[in-house]
This record gives sequence, structure tokens and C-alpha cells, in this order.
Amino acid sequence: MDPVGVGLRAAHYEDFLARKRDVGWLEVHSENYFGAGGYDLHVLNRLRADYPISAHGVGLALGSAAPEAGGHVAKLKRLVDAIEPTFVSEHLCWGRGFGRHFNDLLPLPYTEEALALMSARVSQLQEALGRRILVENVSSYLEYRASDIAEGEFIAELSRRSGCGVLLDVNNLYVNQLNNGSDALEAMGAIAPGSVAEIHLAGHLVAPHCVVDTHGERVAEPVWALYRAALERFGTVPTLIEWDTDIPPLEVLLGEARHARALQAEACCV
Amino acid sequence: MSELAALQRDFGAGIASLDKAAEVAPIFRGPPQAALERLAVYRGNVVGACTKALAGTYPIVAKIVGEAFFEGLAREYLRRFPSTSGDLNEFGAQLSQFVARFEHTQDLPYLPDVARMEWLAHRAYYAADEPGPGLCLAPACALLTSPWPLARIWEVHQDDYEGEFSVDLEAGPERILIYRPRFRVLVGAISTGAYRFLERCGAGAPVTAALDAALVAEPEFDLGAALAAWIEAGVIVESGEAI
Repeated sequence: MDPVGVGLRAAHYEDFLARKRDVGWLEVHSENYFGAGGYDLHVLNRLRADYPISAHGVGLALGSAAPEAGGHVAKLKRLVDAIEPTFVSEHLCWGRGFGRHFNDLLPLPYTEEALALMSARVSQLQEALGRRILVENVSSYLEYRASDIAEGEFIAELSRRSGCGVLLDVNNLYVNQLNNGSDALEAMGAIAPGSVAEIHLAGHLVAPHCVVDTHGERVAEPVWALYRAALERFGTVPTLIEWDTDIPPLEVLLGEARHARALQAEACCV
Repeated sequence: MSELAALQRDFGAGIASLDKAAEVAPIFRGPPQAALERLAVYRGNVVGACTKALAGTYPIVAKIVGEAFFEGLAREYLRRFPSTSGDLNEFGAQLSQFVARFEHTQDLPYLPDVARMEWLAHRAYYAADEPGPGLCLAPACALLTSPWPLARIWEVHQDDYEGEFSVDLEAGPERILIYRPRFRVLVGAISTGAYRFLERCGAGAPVTAALDAALVAEPEFDLGAALAAWIEAGVIVESGEAI
């Protein structure tokens, strides 16, 4: 499998349906395909014949202290059973409780209590889906005083306890380094090489009060540098170019994908 | 309450309400002012995502009230009816009910019915392609009656509409059919007889009973002509295929 993929967004449906594009695989946001039918599911069914698919969830909010709401997992299972994706992933975050859903990937405090809850939730999800999932580190604009475990160690321990793979978002590590003064390289150093099954690359926006993970820009140069370091530590891991706001023509994404592929080729032949 | 639940309660309160933000800022590292600014980034993300989802589901309501007004309306809607699902396609089910009471939309009496139509169209867009057994109305169909000319309001607000932008609000009550021939959702005004027939079909009644109901409502209802058009448009289906 060509290890570089791009996020499939509705704006590019026609480009992908028209002809096979130079990209190894496609990742979709699972929730966009929760319908019983309709155009999105039709497109996904067509494209899964040509590309491996990764189902990336944004709505389970696994680390929420509130008890789990059942329906979401059932819909995810229906999609996973129908599409048979190569990867199924979710986020290391919370986002639900007190009668509402924030529909955002809110950071968790890195504590033993949060680690125990996340590990249990990931294990339950893997059991419900009957397969291993990947869990992605999120960007964070705030750090809890209560956190007493480093981000990298938290991720590594979650993977060890639940058996999940790590979806390493290099841009998020960099955004956190700028916002919270954490060390992206140190975080990567804490994660076992064999546990990283996928890498995300995306653009961010340097705003007045913090760096915002917009997925609306090209991948920044320092993030490419961190990606080189990640390739050195984790090997040639399937890598995704993500773009969610101000979506440009597909060619721009394919250009970013080519760059990622070139860095992979460089890293493997050093 | 566990420490984790308390931290999430405080973080959530700081996102949902500007008034609570100062109170909860100390759970985060760094100067309180910086925490307030970053809570505002989260607040903006949450409101932005919900507004975008609502505008995607209700493009005609958004066009009627205008973009800036719609943003304010969405913010107020979110405060009254917060999202409860991790799937934003489920957000916004109560918009019709909300605009019926919202003080700033009282001069648009047809807006609640437009919202009702758009919610049904949104559901039709994601509905199953194939019908269940014994059903003759396609899953992606819905019926609605209104004192307002909804089909015309729908038509003139489509992106590819090129005719004159005019709606006669005095046109009288209307019955509409929301349907999806393949993947695009369409809306059309239908006769009383057609409405009664499809309504009974959707409820699982046999065709003869549905026809009886239609003829009571509209003695001149022509089932042959109507059926031909509905089969062509995928409104009437059986086991995934036209009958």
C-alpha cells in the first residue's frame, strides 16, 4: 500500500469519482456516513473499491466522565461492518456531559483517573467493534493544573493497557509545544516505535492568543521537520494529509502528499 | 463527583458561559487572563461548528434571514437547544419550534414551516436507498401541509434557480411532497388526493384503501397518471425496485 493518504471531503468527491488519483488511501470522518443511505454513502461505496479506507471518528468523546450514550457506537459498528475499513480511529479527548455534546475534541487532564477511564472505554469499543482501534493525540489550548503525567507517557500507557494503536498527529504535538511549552520530540520519545500505526499531518493557524489547529493551511515547515524525526523513530508509517477548512483544489492536497512521500523515501534510504 | 467529572463540569461551564469562565480559569495552568482567552477559542470553535452544521441543514432559512442574523439565531438556538449527539447531522431538530417563538422572527410567519420542510429534506438526504418490506413509499419521502407556498419558497432559493425571485405568500394552503429521485432532494406541491394516497401508503395501507382515501378527498384524482410519475421519480417503490 502506498503509505500516503488524504482526507476525503465532499468538495473532492467528483475529482475522485472521475478517475483514480495518485494517493494510497482515503480517510473519512465516520459520522458523515452514519446515514442509512444517500449520496455520501454511495460515493464511499464506490471509492472503497479503489482505495483502502480509514474511518476516523470525531464524535465518541471517549474520555467523557458521563456514562456512554449507546447509539453512536451502534452506528459506527454498522458503518465499519459495511465498509470494512483498513483503520478505525478516534481521539484521546472528552466532549460530552451535563446534558450536552460540545462537538469538539476537548483535552483530558493527564491523570491516573483519566488514563483508567480512557483505557476502559477504548477496550469496550474494541470489543464492540471486534477489532483494534487507533487513538489520536489532540491539540490543546489549555493545560490542567491537575495533570501529573506527561502527554507522551499517557499515550504510551493507554496503548499498553488497551492494546490500541497510536494515531500520532505530529501537527497537534507541535501546536501543544507552542501553546503549552511541552516538548514534541520528548513526547514522541516516550511512545514505543511499534505502537504507532498512522500519522496525521495538517496545517495550523498562529492566532493572537494561541496557535489554533485549523486544518486549513499547508503543513508548516517545523511540522515537516518533526515528521522527519517521527519517520526516523517509527519507520514508514501510513501518513495522512488532513484539510478541513477553506478546502483547496485536490491538487494542493496531492502536492502535500507527494512531499510526505519524498520525506519517507529519504528517511528509509539514509 | 470524581475529580475528572468535576474538571469536565468546570471546563464545560467555562465554554458554555462567559460568566462562568473567570470562575473556572484557575483549573488551568498559566495566568488567568490567558486561560480566559483560550477558553474563548474553545467557545468560538463550539459555536462555529454548530452554526456551520445548522446552516448546512437549513440553507433556505439562512438565506431568508441573512448570514449575520442567522449567526445570532444559531447562537441563541444553541443556548436553548444544545447539541446532544456526537453526530452534528442530528443537531437542529427543534429549529422550527424555536423560530416559531423567537421574538426576532415573528415578522416571518412562514419561517417555522420552511424550517420544518428543510428538516424533512435533511432527513430524506440521509435516508435509506432501499425500502423495507411491504412499504410502497420510498424511505426518502416525506409529506407536509402548510398555509404557506413551501414548494415555491424552496424553488426560488435553490442555487441553480434562474427565474424571477418572487413568492406569492397569499397563494393559499399547500401540500408538499419531499422526495429524492436519486441523491438530490426535491420538493413539489401535490394535490389533496395525491397527498392522501401517499400518506396512507406511507402508513402501510393497501393500495385499494389508499385510493379510496384519495378519491374521498379528490373525486377526480387520476391514480394512473400519478403512479406513472411517482414510479419514474422513485417515490413509489417495492423491495428496492419500481413496481
